Amino acid sequence: MESTDFLSLLKERGQLPSVHGAEALKTEGSGPAGMHTEGTTILALRYRDGVLVAGDRRATAGNVVVYDRAAKVLSVDDRSVLALSGSPANAYEIARLLEISFQHYRRTQLQELSLDGRLRTLSRLLKDNLPMAMQGIGAVVPIYITHEHTGPQAGGHIYFYDVLGANFETVDFCTTGSGSPIIRGALYFLNRWERPFAERDEADALRLVLQMLETAAEFDTATGGFRSTAAIYPQVMRVTGDGITDISDADLAMHYDSLQVRG
Amino acid sequence: MLDEPYRWVEAIRNRREYLADQLEGASPVVAVSYADGVLLLTSTPGPRKLFEVYNQVAFAGVGHPADIEKLRKAIIDIAHVESFNLSASDVSLQRLVAFGLGPVIKAAFDEIFRSPHIARVVVAELDPSDPLETFYTIDADGSFASSADAAVVSGTMDSADAIVQHLLSGNDRTASLDAALLRALEAWAVGRVRGEQDDANETEQEPDAVTDEQMIAAVRAALEAGRIEAAVLDRTLPAKTKFRLLSESDLEGALARFR
Repeated sequence: MESTDFLSLLKERGQLPSVHGAEALKTEGSGPAGMHTEGTTILALRYRDGVLVAGDRRATAGNVVVYDRAAKVLSVDDRSVLALSGSPANAYEIARLLEISFQHYRRTQLQELSLDGRLRTLSRLLKDNLPMAMQGIGAVVPIYITHEHTGPQAGGHIYFYDVLGANFETVDFCTTGSGSPIIRGALYFLNRWERPFAERDEADALRLVLQMLETAAEFDTATGGFRSTAAIYPQVMRVTGDGITDISDADLAMHYDSLQVRG
Repeated sequence: MLDEPYRWVEAIRNRREYLADQLEGASPVVAVSYADGVLLLTSTPGPRKLFEVYNQVAFAGVGHPADIEKLRKAIIDIAHVESFNLSASDVSLQRLVAFGLGPVIKAAFDEIFRSPHIARVVVAELDPSDPLETFYTIDADGSFASSADAAVVSGTMDSADAIVQHLLSGNDRTASLDAALLRALEAWAVGRVRGEQDDANETEQEPDAVTDEQMIAAVRAALEAGRIEAAVLDRTLPAKTKFRLLSESDLEGALARFR
């Protein structure tokens, strides 16, 4: 039988971009310093109706702010999103390959790729990216968030990956990027002793997410905070049984108001 | 043997005859524009015959199922590689046909010692930049043609012509889905009846007009043997993908006239 997946198709045609699985770049040491931009705070948490996924908007190279409107939370299909920390070039390429792989599979095979199949596809992409990651210029550390409509795995799930492509499911929340160590303990504390995230409604969960991103931005220079003067808001998506929806800037502004955050 | 020119021409002629023979009994696929986009309709004994190629592109074929599958896979592969290398908005039906599927079918047809694709294909794009390229039909020899309002592939030329005539006589690209379904189903029945007449009637005499009773009998026979299948490319769908298979309840209104 012919190969059915898109990655193999690209490989057969010699069109898989060279960053994936190709020869490692022949550079000495850890590559050109300051070229990678991986400072970020990504946060995903399971609340009553599904999963909230949020990311700040700042892209940095060393101690330089490169861009203040980067999109780090990308929808992959109508039920799942990828939240990325790491080298943006490779991260976007991986998100793109993932999206088209799932579409291609659905259209050729006339069925949706299973959750395990999707997790495995992302693993393969990360493994192919290993030579770049090893050189310190292209590591990508994604979280994959999905809401399954049917089957034994119905409901919201959060998976995080390591650089080598292994995936792990987290139960309550997951945070990655340079700002994550700052808020991880606080998240654990709140979930365990204040009120479990799974019991919170959307407004409550959203308020918590925004507070955490502000906290990370306070202590991590590579995480951008909310700035009303420039209309820079973090990206927040809800992944629920109704699909994937963005939380609008207007809604975010309202919450920031109620939290008395002045950006 | 085939190095003599006339032998080669003869071999090609034999191939055309073989293909015409193989395709003769096929159930037509009718494609028309309607208010919200494009509608495709056919009958099937069971397996699906109308497919999604890309967000705004649909595919259907008549002929050998394995060949249709091969061509379907080929056009989906081309569309997705294109969308990966360039962008989703660079996937256009005109290019998929002219540089993709057309040459693939032609190459197989020309290789005398290998089997050609036993298939005729119709593809549709929702709102292409040139409305004249809304539909493409590709014949088993790889030749293709485009049209704006309707397209048909069928077992015989007579059957396809009869369908096109029927469609164009009451052509209305602003018709509602129900009206378009009814018109497509009638046209399909006309083509089905005419195709069967072609089978039975080897003489060259002009066939009689298709009667209402014949059309009703054709649709009933299709429903007994399987089902009527229809799909749309609907620009009002909120998702990126505009393709939708119609459910039995969507078809009920149009089918009521034939029950």
